[in-house]
Amino acid sequence: MNAVSAGLSLAAASEPNLPSINDFLPPEILFQGTPFAINRIILVRIIATIVLLLVLGRTAAKAKLIPGRWQGVVEYGIEFVRDKVVYDVMGEVRGKRYVPMIATIFFTIFVFNLCGVIPGANIAATATVVMPLVFAVWVLIQYWIVAIREQGLGHYLRHELFTPGVPWPVYILLAPIQLLELLIIRPASLTIRLFANMISGHLLVATCIAFTQYWMVDTVNHLVGVPVGALWFVGAAALTCFEAFVAFLQAYVFAILATVYLNLSYPEE
Amino acid sequence: MTALAEEKSGISLFIPEVYDIVWSLIILLIVAVFFYKFFMPKFNAIFDERARKIEGGIANAEKAQADANAAKEKYEAQLSTARVEASKIRDDARTEASHIIADARSRAESDAEQITANAQRSIASQHQQALVSLKGEVGVLATALAGKILGSELQDSKVQSSMIDQMIDHMDASNAGK
Repeated sequence: MNAVSAGLSLAAASEPNLPSINDFLPPEILFQGTPFAINRIILVRIIATIVLLLVLGRTAAKAKLIPGRWQGVVEYGIEFVRDKVVYDVMGEVRGKRYVPMIATIFFTIFVFNLCGVIPGANIAATATVVMPLVFAVWVLIQYWIVAIREQGLGHYLRHELFTPGVPWPVYILLAPIQLLELLIIRPASLTIRLFANMISGHLLVATCIAFTQYWMVDTVNHLVGVPVGALWFVGAAALTCFEAFVAFLQAYVFAILATVYLNLSYPEE
Repeated sequence: MTALAEEKSGISLFIPEVYDIVWSLIILLIVAVFFYKFFMPKFNAIFDERARKIEGGIANAEKAQADANAAKEKYEAQLSTARVEASKIRDDARTEASHIIADARSRAESDAEQITANAQRSIASQHQQALVSLKGEVGVLATALAGKILGSELQDSKVQSSMIDQMIDHMDASNAGK
């Protein structure tokens, strides 16, 4: 980013400082070259994690039988994940043991996504491919474990790859697709859906803000520049609200799909 | 634009960096441990305790309600027996009062009869006495008067008494004739 802005600073008045995918490949700023190198996004992620642990840890440590306002909000979140996500999909009997997992996924992804609209962070902590991927791989491992425990590997694969009630020539096509689905497509779709949403959200908001800056401040002709810039600013404000909604929505989608995949690994009644 | 020359292709977004994997895994591990070992158990304990308290509260309320109902029934039963007793006492009192009144009335009537009878008796005896004494006095008076009229004193007591008797008989006859 610094190289980009240095290059653009001379031409600031003529070109808006538009965001690019370079925002998602920032240079390493700490421990360069080591496996523990930290760039801007990872720094945001670490800070977000610390804030998440401190806030929720403090809430849990001070949790009372009669909840205060903030504890009520947190409890509403927990009950939302437990009742509306896990129990609605799996039922209470199956779902009870997965509530901590889905709660981890939902709360963490939600907070990480929200970093995209928090001033100063301005980028989602889930905006590198690996963060969504590790969540997705966790889900992948979990639903394979569930399948092996509940049905046995042989039964699971036979049932999934050679779904009963289909004429046998179709299996030539169906079985590889199903295997691909179980191994690659499910985690990949979880990863890419979240990651791409965070990228597009950042690009949209940052583009609006860049044009606001360009039209209101950098342009020489303020008579035209200010109204146009004001329109871009309205767009930026609206899209920021929308991104906050998307932050929740993507966390919800990730959590509910993870629950659905876990549930699909149980034998059908 | 020199900056644009540095722009990497979109594919590089999907090529994971080693440090990104490291930090993502570390953070996932920390967050998962936090949620599994602390956050969820803590809140589950809170939820369970709250549910228990609410259930206990409901049970207590039901027990209190039952107690209150029992007490109410007991009081109502006591109240109705008291009411029955009171009406019985009232009836007893009423009958006793009417007995007393009847007694008093009969006693008063008998007293009155007695008094009346006594009075009549004494009137009759006084009347008799008056008659007797009148008879005597009238005899003497009439004799004296007749003596004066006749100018002669009836010396002979025998004649005298026969004359008086004659006169009284005459008076009785005249009285009876009236």
